[in-house]
Amino acid sequence: MACERTATLVADHFDDTLVPLQREALDQHARHCADCAQALDEARQTHAHLRTWQPQRVPAWSRPALPSAPQKRSRLRWAWWQWAPLAVSCVLALAVVLNVQISTGSQGMAIRFGASSTPDTAQLEARLAAFDAQYQAALQTLTQTLMQQQATDNARLMEAVIDSVVEQFGDSTARSLEQVIAYFESQREQDLQLLQASYQQLADSDYATIRSVEQLAMLVQGGQP
Amino acid sequence: MSLAEQDDALIRAALEGSARSWDQLVRRHETQVYNFSLRLTGNPADALDLMQEVFLGVYRNLHRFRGESQFSTWLFRIAHNKAIDMARRRPSSTSLESALEDAGDLIEARWQQLDDVPEQDPQALLDERQRNALLLAQMAALPLEQRLVVELKVFQSLTFEEIAELQDISANTAKTRFYTALRRLKALMEQDHGM
Ligand SMILES: [Zn+2]
Repeated sequence: MACERTATLVADHFDDTLVPLQREALDQHARHCADCAQALDEARQTHAHLRTWQPQRVPAWSRPALPSAPQKRSRLRWAWWQWAPLAVSCVLALAVVLNVQISTGSQGMAIRFGASSTPDTAQLEARLAAFDAQYQAALQTLTQTLMQQQATDNARLMEAVIDSVVEQFGDSTARSLEQVIAYFESQREQDLQLLQASYQQLADSDYATIRSVEQLAMLVQGGQP
Repeated sequence: MSLAEQDDALIRAALEGSARSWDQLVRRHETQVYNFSLRLTGNPADALDLMQEVFLGVYRNLHRFRGESQFSTWLFRIAHNKAIDMARRRPSSTSLESALEDAGDLIEARWQQLDDVPEQDPQALLDERQRNALLLAQMAALPLEQRLVVELKVFQSLTFEEIAELQDISANTAKTRFYTALRRLKALMEQDHGM
């Protein structure tokens, strides 16, 4: 093609977003340029030939089914695990800030708000130590539950994968099935590590916040941070 | 409710866990995706594989669909990327000849499938078989990036700007690719039936 505009001109001819003025300019050029006129004519024929395609009916195929535990629900299920340490921290923080005193005596359990009549540093230290212990215990329980949950999910998902593979390809594909499982396991392993890491991070950041709230509370009460 | 709104409603329900809505969503778009896959891969077996991957990709990313574009546009963005992934994984073994052969098999299967439908005009069906088989073979002779431009422009009616964005090229490069592809197809058509 001798005319350097031919490629763009032909392409633009099939552009539905062209405004009338642009289309007019295009036609104008083609009327005076033999190269472009011929290229345009051939392109129209080819385009028309392509458009003779008759849509094919979809053969029978196994549509990917929505897994029984959909994405959104499973994300919601994780939500409370993620927020549990924060909730625990909030309750404890509130207890520290409001200076809640829980004492069990012969009259049963008694809860008191506000500063006690004899606030001293030793008492606060003791309460902080107790808070640390409670926090660590809660974190450990949550982590264990998390791991158990993950193991159950693993097994359930694995079953689903095996079922669908066997259903699709039959039992004869044991080798590829092994590969699928190996890949699957490595993926889940990575997921688990990632999840635990971010979980720990979240818990740690909550913990850091809560400690500074406590220190603030102590300052407010005139104690030592 | 418009088609796009119906899609949106089905997506919301599928995300809430409705297997039926998901199934409906797939059925609404599978013919378009299958024909897209067929024209890009040149044979029904690969087309089914590609379609499977497209819908798995759709499923995995459904929660990211924000409704900024139409679902079908979003769907073909995934289809485009999956087609490229698949071509990279399976280096082109589809020669013009094997594509023709595969297309012939496909049409043969369809022919048998339609044998029981008496109201169809056999002459029209025969033309359709030949036309599609020929088109598949001609498309298969194009390099993948040209085939994709032709598919997206001629069959999916995307603008050159949209095609450029998908392929990470300039609009002008997309236009040149399209023109080069049309010329190549024209040459093949002449070869096939002396047009
Ligand atoms: Zn010109």
